[in-house]
Amino acid sequence: MNQPRILIFACKWCGFIGADAAGKKRISLPSRFRVIPMECASLVETDAILRALAGGIDGIAVLGCHIGGCRYNNANHTAIKRLELLQDLLDTTGIGSSRLLLSFGTAHEDYQFEEIIKNFFDELTLLPPLDPWL
Amino acid sequence: MLEKTKNIARQILEEKKASAVFGLMRNEWNIIQPHLFEDPAGLANLVLEPKWLLAKLAMRILRSSPENYKLAVICRGCDERALIELIKRNQIEKENLLTIGIACSQEQAAICLCDRPYPEKLDAGEKVSGVDPFQDERVRKFLIGNDKERMKRWADMLKRCIKCYGCRNSCPICICEPCKLEDDVWVQRGVVPAETITFHLIRAFHLSDTCVACGACQEACPVNIPLLYLQLGMRKTLREKYGYEAGLDPETKSPVLSSAFEKPDTDREFPDWINSLREEDES
Ligand code: SF4
Ligand code: SF4
Ligand code: SF4
Repeated sequence: MNQPRILIFACKWCGFIGADAAGKKRISLPSRFRVIPMECASLVETDAILRALAGGIDGIAVLGCHIGGCRYNNANHTAIKRLELLQDLLDTTGIGSSRLLLSFGTAHEDYQFEEIIKNFFDELTLLPPLDPWL
Repeated sequence: MLEKTKNIARQILEEKKASAVFGLMRNEWNIIQPHLFEDPAGLANLVLEPKWLLAKLAMRILRSSPENYKLAVICRGCDERALIELIKRNQIEKENLLTIGIACSQEQAAICLCDRPYPEKLDAGEKVSGVDPFQDERVRKFLIGNDKERMKRWADMLKRCIKCYGCRNSCPICICEPCKLEDDVWVQRGVVPAETITFHLIRAFHLSDTCVACGACQEACPVNIPLLYLQLGMRKTLREKYGYEAGLDPETKSPVLSSAFEKPDTDREFPDWINSLREEDES
């Protein structure tokens, strides 16, 4: 089976710092992922997530700051609530909420980023492909 | 119920509380159509059946009318909730809208899978109890199973879509101009059936916290896709986690718009150190 493809939206104040550090340390990671730095996790559009799934991405991770640690007036709270609701829709339709990884305040450090991506990658490998939808 | 509604409508027109009453009329060819009653004499032809959502039309009428034009809308539960959601979205001026709320029958509630078959402001008819959609056999059959089975079921269903945009057009709260479903960036244009994930789920998610479960999308669908089922899970979550239901009153905003401190969800606990951060924030 093909390796899963992962798209990561990372807040530049936390998740992206972790991703950057992992790169600088040359930590070995699964190769099929891309990181898109965001000013804030709340700017991740739900439509973009659906677009990515339709475009053949297997899993999407949104990495934001911890609750209480957002630089932009608790914008990450609304992001979590909104994205959790999207997870519901993914469950309803059988795409499965596990394809949308939400992780807030857990990827500041390189090793944390590494762990999250590796686990996510392993989890996606076990899921049935999205083919009937494409 | 019909007589009572007519009386209320007549009173509103005679006392000039509204410029017109908006409801359904049986016309001279015996066809039922939405109608603006401006003259009390015309109310003789007023009817209440069938279910016909007037919220979107009411919004268009109010938008294209002079500023002090007031409209009284005869509405069922879902229609009232849709009007309230439109007020929340600044599409209708609250001052310009009156409602005459009518209750639905038990049969109607069963057809609609409606958990609130009555408006909050009830003027005519008796409240009947709602239906829990998750107890319904059709819903259960469709939504049970593991992810793989569900995905197959939805995929087969959604492949029937002829991309008529009926679901979007009939939904009382789907009102954006321009619409993302017509934009190539989001949904590939010119292909039928519509791209499944984007077309259907973008639409469904845009209505996640504002869907009033009127079922208009599903009733409009010419190929019988159970579109309402897409919304049920999200509505359930909003109710269970935040005690929120769309369209109940114009003041309560969706919890998705507020911080988790103002509107926490019921099963999330914050560690103590977050509270200390909060105090720093506030000071
Ligand atoms: S959805 Fe509920 S309120 Fe609307 S027509 Fe059906 S039963 Fe009545
Ligand atoms: S049931 Fe359908 S038409 Fe009615 S508000 Fe929800 S999405 Fe819109
Ligand atoms: S109403 Fe039905 S057929 Fe028409 S676009 Fe919506 S889902 Fe497709």
